Amino acid sequence: MSDNQLTDMRQHAQSLETEINKVVVGQQTPIRLITTAIFSRGHVLLEGDVGVGKTTLLRAFTRCIGGGYQRVEGTIDLMPNDLVYHTYLGEDGKPHVSPGPLLMSGESLSVFFFNEINRARPQVHSLLLRVMAERTLSAFNKEYQFPNMQVFADRNQLEKEETFEIPAAARDRFMMEIPIVVPDESAIMESLVFDTKYHNVDTLVNTLQANILQFDQLNGFSALLQDKIEASPTLRQYALNLWRATKTPSAFGVKVNGVDMNRLVLSGSSPRGMSMMLAAARVNAWLNNRSSVLPEDIHAVFHSTVAHRLAFSPVYEMRRTEIARELLSGIVNAVAAP
Amino acid sequence: MNTLIKPLHISLISLVLFLSASLAFANDEPSPEIPEGVVKLTKVDPARNVGYLMGDILDRTITLEVKKPYKLIETTLPIVGYEHRYQGQVSGIELRKISHTKKYSNTSTVYVVQLSYQVFATAPTVKPALLPAEIVKFQGPSTSEARDGLVQYRIPEFYFRSSPMAVFGAVKIEDDMSPLRQPILLQAYPVKQKLVACLIILGFSLLGLLYILGVRAWLPLMGKPFAKAVRQTRKLSPKDADALKTALSSMHQAFNTSAQYSVFSDNITEFIAQNPSFKTIEAEMHQFFALSHQVFFETHNASTDEATSLNWVKKFSTQCRDCERGLKPAKQKKA
Repeated sequence: MSDNQLTDMRQHAQSLETEINKVVVGQQTPIRLITTAIFSRGHVLLEGDVGVGKTTLLRAFTRCIGGGYQRVEGTIDLMPNDLVYHTYLGEDGKPHVSPGPLLMSGESLSVFFFNEINRARPQVHSLLLRVMAERTLSAFNKEYQFPNMQVFADRNQLEKEETFEIPAAARDRFMMEIPIVVPDESAIMESLVFDTKYHNVDTLVNTLQANILQFDQLNGFSALLQDKIEASPTLRQYALNLWRATKTPSAFGVKVNGVDMNRLVLSGSSPRGMSMMLAAARVNAWLNNRSSVLPEDIHAVFHSTVAHRLAFSPVYEMRRTEIARELLSGIVNAVAAP
Repeated sequence: MNTLIKPLHISLISLVLFLSASLAFANDEPSPEIPEGVVKLTKVDPARNVGYLMGDILDRTITLEVKKPYKLIETTLPIVGYEHRYQGQVSGIELRKISHTKKYSNTSTVYVVQLSYQVFATAPTVKPALLPAEIVKFQGPSTSEARDGLVQYRIPEFYFRSSPMAVFGAVKIEDDMSPLRQPILLQAYPVKQKLVACLIILGFSLLGLLYILGVRAWLPLMGKPFAKAVRQTRKLSPKDADALKTALSSMHQAFNTSAQYSVFSDNITEFIAQNPSFKTIEAEMHQFFALSHQVFFETHNASTDEATSLNWVKKFSTQCRDCERGLKPAKQKKA
């Protein structure tokens, strides 16, 4: 029964990817990674310039998986309670309280998009991180549950003023950090600019087939998937070696150009990070119609699940993206399996 | 009776003695020269003509090809111990040994005479000396010049110079700088021996260096990663425990060492771009990684025919080695 379920759901996942690729062009890799995150129930950091289609991407996914979609903009004066409720004077002249973005969709909240999360204050981060970790919120003397919520957050990488960098502990809660890059194929670039169907996001997203997946069935299916896709002892050893290499890359002969490898890494990937990596690898194996994880499945998610967890010496933080990319490529090249 | 016989015996003995004396006298007497063209002389003289000290031995080989019917009278050959005199004085050159052979043919007889002279002369300075000319006689037909048929032939002398045997301090070498003196040469033989020994050692050292550079393989090409893998997989038998895993691991190691990074199925294209000779076995490479996945990573893998797979990996390793050497590998059937 469960094997059939896995097969059926894989077909749905493939349909989901096909649908999303219709409206978000040239982003096959991010779409595959977000699909992987959805089926492994992890939160996602999106990295990319403004106007590259992050919101469109998330709205498209929300339409296809169903459930509520909420979005909040990070600002320096945003306070935690702004996520929970807002007050206003009603037509009756009396103060009223309405649910904020978190509470608005209730338990059916499926996608919560926090745009420019690093513009918000640490107090907001703190609330969000608790919601991400526990998927619960205490408000109005009541415990609210968000069992199906996935947080997608975007970081403003261009500006540093009036921003609060997300601490390492907070970054570690995100399963993936996915770069969204404008495709450089001329045909795609031309269609993005001149094809009018991409100008109106609402119309574009409404063309998608709705509810390809059932958002409230994803948790159960994810648990089944993680249970069914197995990892051999060789694969486990390989994953452990990768983990060790993130902690002491120099011991594996990994070198990064212009970097003192003995000073670079303050802390490697966390146990939570490695378990998330393996969860994502299992989903990747399932999406590729395999019942066991291969090293190639780990490679497919290694950068996106590990890079944002690494803590570098402050002197190298300014070059984080570039160094992390080179470091992780070096680790994949240095660690052999079997 | 006895009285009659006695005078006859005396007469016979007297006749024999007379004849012997006449013959001896005839030998000592100069005979006419042998007609020209009857004797063909070939001689091998000592290689150098200077630097002989007292006690040195000089060898000559004289070959005389004499036309028939002339025959050498062997008693006219020089005898051992004969002291040669030159202008009435003992020359100090003594014949030490003589031997000869003869070989007959239809028209001629070849006499090969080996002469060995020893020098017994010395002087405080370099002195001229010679191996004396030897006169040998031949018995030929009777002619007007030689009624008895005896003719002679003169073997020419060999000139050389004897060197003084100097006692240290007895001779001041500066006063004896003869332009005829040959420079004293070093003995080359021991040096040559050492040179040969050094060359042999050098040869072995170069072979050792070649071996080390070949990563302890007999030839440099044998030390390359896939050549090693071939040697490792060739030893494996299906009866060995984990033979297939060991073979696959060897091949993975060879790929990683060759590429200098970990090669997986998702970077085969990159590997082939760096090693274009492997392009011909791209399909086999994908097959190899599929087999590796099945063995190492599939937890519910279908039963693998280990013997067939191991055989396939062995052939695949040979294909890789051929590609590594820039050769065109032979194709093989799927496992």
